Amino acid sequence: MKLSPMLPRFLAIAALFFSISSCSENLDSSGVCAVLCTQIGGDVQNVTLDAIVIDTTVQSLSGLGTEPGLLLANRPDTLDTRVVVRFDSLPEKFLPAGDTSQAIAQVDSAYLQLQIDTLSIKGNAPVTIEAYDVDTTANDTSTAAVLALFRPDRFISSQTFTRAQLTDTLKYFIANDVVLSKIQNKLPLRIGLRATGTGSSQMRIISTEGGVPPIMLFRATPDTATKPLTVTLFSKTPVGQAILAANLSDYTVIAKAPPQASPTILAVGGLPPRRVYFRFNIPSSIIDSSTVVRATLLLNQLPNSSLDPTDTVRVLPQVVLAGRVVTDPQKAAQIIAGISADTLTLRPGDAGLVNVELARAVALWHIQQPDTLPRAIVLKPVIEGISPLELRFSSSEDAVAALRPKLRISYTKQVPLGLP
Amino acid sequence: MRKRHLVATALFTLAFTSRVQAQGALSLEGLGYPTGQLSARAEGTGGGVGDFDALSLVAPAALAGVGSSALFFQYSPEFRKVTTSSGSASTTTARFPLVAGVLPMGQDWTLGLSSSTFLDRSLETSLQRVQVVGTPTDTVTLTERNKVLGAINDVRLALAWSTNPIFRIGVGAHVFSGSNRITFSQLFPDSARYTSTSQNGRISYAGFAASLGLEFHPSRAIGFSINGRKGGDLRAESGDTAIGSARIPDHYSASVTFEGIPGAVISARVAHDAWSSLTNLSSSGIQAFDGWDTGVGIEASGPRIIQRIITVRAGARFRTLPFGYPAPCAPPIPTGSSCTNPERVSETSFAAGLGVPLTRERASLDLSLQRASRSAADIKERGFILSIGLRVSP
Repeated sequence: MKLSPMLPRFLAIAALFFSISSCSENLDSSGVCAVLCTQIGGDVQNVTLDAIVIDTTVQSLSGLGTEPGLLLANRPDTLDTRVVVRFDSLPEKFLPAGDTSQAIAQVDSAYLQLQIDTLSIKGNAPVTIEAYDVDTTANDTSTAAVLALFRPDRFISSQTFTRAQLTDTLKYFIANDVVLSKIQNKLPLRIGLRATGTGSSQMRIISTEGGVPPIMLFRATPDTATKPLTVTLFSKTPVGQAILAANLSDYTVIAKAPPQASPTILAVGGLPPRRVYFRFNIPSSIIDSSTVVRATLLLNQLPNSSLDPTDTVRVLPQVVLAGRVVTDPQKAAQIIAGISADTLTLRPGDAGLVNVELARAVALWHIQQPDTLPRAIVLKPVIEGISPLELRFSSSEDAVAALRPKLRISYTKQVPLGLP
Repeated sequence: MRKRHLVATALFTLAFTSRVQAQGALSLEGLGYPTGQLSARAEGTGGGVGDFDALSLVAPAALAGVGSSALFFQYSPEFRKVTTSSGSASTTTARFPLVAGVLPMGQDWTLGLSSSTFLDRSLETSLQRVQVVGTPTDTVTLTERNKVLGAINDVRLALAWSTNPIFRIGVGAHVFSGSNRITFSQLFPDSARYTSTSQNGRISYAGFAASLGLEFHPSRAIGFSINGRKGGDLRAESGDTAIGSARIPDHYSASVTFEGIPGAVISARVAHDAWSSLTNLSSSGIQAFDGWDTGVGIEASGPRIIQRIITVRAGARFRTLPFGYPAPCAPPIPTGSSCTNPERVSETSFAAGLGVPLTRERASLDLSLQRASRSAADIKERGFILSIGLRVSP
């Protein structure tokens, strides 16, 4: 087939045509809007509602060992928390340099390597960390059973650190003979750590969930040409529950915590961690027929000076995803999703009005029926279980009506987009 | 402090309630900008030759002079600058205002099917205003963004008859259709605290009209043309709901062409559009004005480049745009009123153009550049419209 000699010219013209036509538009006339534009949308309407149907404090059931940090604290009269790390699988052989594999017959320089969140350290006095053998056949999640094992006959070792020695990577030496005994008897090594000392002390050790879990290192021979052995956390129990077992490879045990708020007060945080569940009744004329541009939960904070009242706690609201079939607030408060990356930073000792922004939650409620997505939120610390600090708020049972939680909604009506 | 803020808000509101539905440019008031329905060739002569041009959509009789079958496509971006006392804005609007096909049927008849942009409404504006959201002292700067895309188009099926070069007659049936897609957003600065909103709307238009045109060339040197279009109803709907109706503007034009100078064609045209019939298609009282559209131009054989004779064109045009600018009333304005004083928007254009034959007369490229000046009240608007038309005879 012979192509027409005109074809290249046609193509060239077409190319020119379309290259010009592909130029992007710029229709934005904003520069003259001060004169040539006018307000189209209506004014924002603001209304404050007594819209709280349920507000209650519930336990966080995220589970023992799921916290990203292990709180080791010794605050006389207020707080005593211990840390448990499990090494249920210990090596029985090692490979000497230039030799073949041999059974471990000695242990030297055994220590735990702990990553410390140095910003979390409280107290300037020297702190003594004691280690106990907390291996037991009792229920894995029994706090009482574990606490009972912090006794002299279970004592492994102790080491005292000055404040300056508490660096981000802490070497905590433990008795070599205890490790060797566990290896040779094929027993799990479960170590409970407890802080003691003349003054208060508190620190947070990064956990498995935090990304840098504690590990144990030791030498099976004095020969330094042979690398030390590294043992990672592992929990064999509870049998058949791999997720729970993984969580329990390291966890915090609460021996003593500050007194919790009364049931008529809403409490967020603390140890064990708690959340507040709110369910709202918002008029459908606002949710369905208007566009909510801002929704604010107005809370009255009550001062809690029991522990570190000027420290900050970051909290955030999360929307409850549990449908109508989940009627128990305790359970519903566990089925949640984030709606905002912007956290609220509060101090337990403060008092007064606190605004919790919920515009994104309302936007979700606008597109979902209440049966599917209840008009409910949970207020919780950003990270639960790593701080003893507890925020307190007036509930809807407060004697003073003005102090009860309220919902303020700012909304606009739809604009008729019709003829000019 | 709070009192001062309230006073400022009141003044702000008062100032803007007097500017009803202005849309970021004088030429975009009301239902939009009338592109003129002229080909690039006709635009290059200030519209003077439009009534004798088969590819323009204003004169059905002109189809008879097309000679051979042809396809035509036109692209006309406009580079516009609007200047007000408080600032200026530069925009680029891409338009494809005309596509046409012409088919001679035997010796005497010619059929044409064309589509052109009747009123183009492509705009985007952003207005910032202070809004109380929450407590009375909790204010935020809200940005209202309004974007409208779309046009009312005129699709014409025309038939022309001519047995000799002296007299031509043509009739056309017009269907007006199209839509405006509207996106209105209210944007708040802090997404963690506020939720921005967005609304979408669509207005569709449908209407009918008929046109008739006559062309008379008593001699080779001179020709006359008169044309008219009678408008029918134009309905506007949003979804399935009728939201307004009006009459498509009647349009009349008369033209004369003089070819007594060898190699040159001088033409003049005057047209009248009864745009006021569209006033009813406004929810805010935008007023449309009847207007005259006059133009004069010359088309002449120019230099020979690469063995092709280039046609050069020049022209001037003056017209009144359909929709008035709602200028604020002179003070004192009663509190709470939205008094406006609609002003006509006039447009003066100067144009130049080229016609380049391609591929042994089987294709041609028409280029024109118009400089249009529009004004009303103390607002100035300047637009450069580059039109590129490609005609191909298969």
